Amino acid sequence: MFPGIDGFHWTFGHILFLLLFFAVALTIVAIVASAAWRTAQDFRNHHAIDLCWHTEFAQLPDSARRCRHELAGRVISRTCDNAFDCRHCSKYLQFAVLPPAGHLHLSGLDYPDDRYYHRGHTWVKPVEDGNVTVGLDELARHLVGTPDFCNLPKVGEELELNQTAWRMKKNGNEILVRTPIEGTVVAVGGPERDWYLKICPRFDLSEPVTLRHLLRGPEVSGWTNRELERLQEQLEAAHTPPALADGGVLLPDLMNVIPDADWESVLADTFLQL
Amino acid sequence: MASRVLTDSRWIARGESRTSFSRFLLWLAPWTALLLVGIYAAFLCLYHGLNQTNMDNRFAFGLWIFLDLGIIALGAGAFFTGFLVYILKRVELKPILNTAVVVGFICYSGAVAILMIDVGQPLRAWFTFWHPNTHSMLTEVTFCISCYLLVLCLEYIPILLRNPQLRRLPSFLVFDHQLHRLIPVLAAVGAMLSFFHQGSLGGLYGVLRGRPFAFRSGILIWPSTFFLFILSAIASGPSFLMLVTAAVEKITGRKLVANEIFRRLALISGVLLGIYVAAKSIDTLIWLNITSPSEGFAPWQFYIHKPFGTPILFAEIVLFGLLPAFLLTFRATASRRGWLLCAAAMACAGVLLNRFVLTVQTLALPTLPFDDFLQYTPSWQEVASFAGVIAYGVIVYSLSYRYLPMFGSSKGEHADVSGN
Repeated sequence: MFPGIDGFHWTFGHILFLLLFFAVALTIVAIVASAAWRTAQDFRNHHAIDLCWHTEFAQLPDSARRCRHELAGRVISRTCDNAFDCRHCSKYLQFAVLPPAGHLHLSGLDYPDDRYYHRGHTWVKPVEDGNVTVGLDELARHLVGTPDFCNLPKVGEELELNQTAWRMKKNGNEILVRTPIEGTVVAVGGPERDWYLKICPRFDLSEPVTLRHLLRGPEVSGWTNRELERLQEQLEAAHTPPALADGGVLLPDLMNVIPDADWESVLADTFLQL
Repeated sequence: MASRVLTDSRWIARGESRTSFSRFLLWLAPWTALLLVGIYAAFLCLYHGLNQTNMDNRFAFGLWIFLDLGIIALGAGAFFTGFLVYILKRVELKPILNTAVVVGFICYSGAVAILMIDVGQPLRAWFTFWHPNTHSMLTEVTFCISCYLLVLCLEYIPILLRNPQLRRLPSFLVFDHQLHRLIPVLAAVGAMLSFFHQGSLGGLYGVLRGRPFAFRSGILIWPSTFFLFILSAIASGPSFLMLVTAAVEKITGRKLVANEIFRRLALISGVLLGIYVAAKSIDTLIWLNITSPSEGFAPWQFYIHKPFGTPILFAEIVLFGLLPAFLLTFRATASRRGWLLCAAAMACAGVLLNRFVLTVQTLALPTLPFDDFLQYTPSWQEVASFAGVIAYGVIVYSLSYRYLPMFGSSKGEHADVSGN
């Protein structure tokens, strides 16, 4: 057939057939190479984490994707289609000027006003030196209590928004906590302190848009109430008849108090993991 | 002391209910045993040679080629569904796209595995790429099937990467996303390759001038069997998908696909089957009245050897062709699950019968005055290899169903990401 083989002669048939075949084969190879090259590019441009988050966000149930303006009672119903990144939401300003309504009471959980809250149950608190501290919010702390193991990032590490910031283990369950703000880790705390990470933000904090993707004010109470309702349903013993809320408060260290619950699902829903 | 229960729940998507790991292993056990017997039989054929089979120089195509042609036709649901979803934008069929890809992958990889045994010396399989006979339809088939298997592997990878544990690796997730964006190109390439190799498999028989039972006239360089194979494959592929899905629903006791999708597949399958039956009838009439007499054979001569009488022709065209085409097309019958599955099974049986006739009946019939009518019974090694491929298919599908998202939800699996 090919040169170097006895009796070989090129014909039009050879050329046409082989051209077609190699064109197809090259297309297939090019597709794989292109996907691999684009993947490498995404990692180089810090776009990979964003892509992962968008893909995972699309998989979240509708109940977990409610718009902050719905949580604050500014609109009746709205599903977020912007991966919780209000900085790039074209509708944000249109709804933000509306007055909030309802859900202004918190069920015994402390959510101070000086912090901004991420849907993955972390908070961001600007501090005097221009950095921010990041910690677990009250609901997450009530669930996890003191983790058995905590793997924090190294100082100097670059973190992207919604990337896994740190990992914890509790009673054999792995917990991945998402980063609420992009930046560089400048110090690490831990469960024994109030905060887990101190981050130098990538963007200027004096710009109002920098922290716009995080919840504040009436949005926090609306969101927390829904999260508590979800938690109550998930921790309810099987075959329990429907009951009215009794107005009780959340017990601390719930993972030890109710060890037999489906913690895999509870933790995944709480920390926005698939 | 609390006993440790063997579990694989970390590998199963959250919110999906699956049977216990021990019951799953129990389900896999007999299929694994069958696969091992098949591997042993294949080893015998490769080690001792094709004398382990009951084929010979005169009866060179047997059970294996029948299996190849059959499962390649039934696996056509993969490329045809991809073609419908990505090229013709029939997005309502998207929920069954993953299962179609897995079924196609199983069918084609199984067919290639059997071909590797059938060529006798698989170490020389590369010869076909270095010394291709560009005048042979078999060369085109080899090239297209090799390329299409590669395409199916690439289509299977994104499904594989959606396993909950693999998803946790960002590089896999991003690669999956990027590959998925290029899937329409793959679907188009796959459709082109499939059209050609399905056709060439049919053309392979149609050009056999020395086998007047199979020889057909046609259009330009393509005998009519070229087009009939394409039509029958794309007609039976959706029916086979329905059968597989219904079987999985029955075994798992879960509703996996909406009735509307079944009805849509039934309509596609039924209409295409109707067109195929019409084309096949015209082709048979031309062959009976023109092609065969012009080659010096009275057509009735081919039907005097029992059991290959005219009832097979009737079964191929009417019983497993026209009848299921009606049942699948009309809403009254297609809306009833029993009728629908019965018709789908008949459509699949029809395409298998067609491949059997062209492979086995063609070779069994005498063509020269001194020829005898040949009888061929496959050896146990052939049957075991055949069964091994079926077991392989069941195992791969079972693992895929348990650990991968085989049936899509109404929600998009891949969100469009701005800025990309």
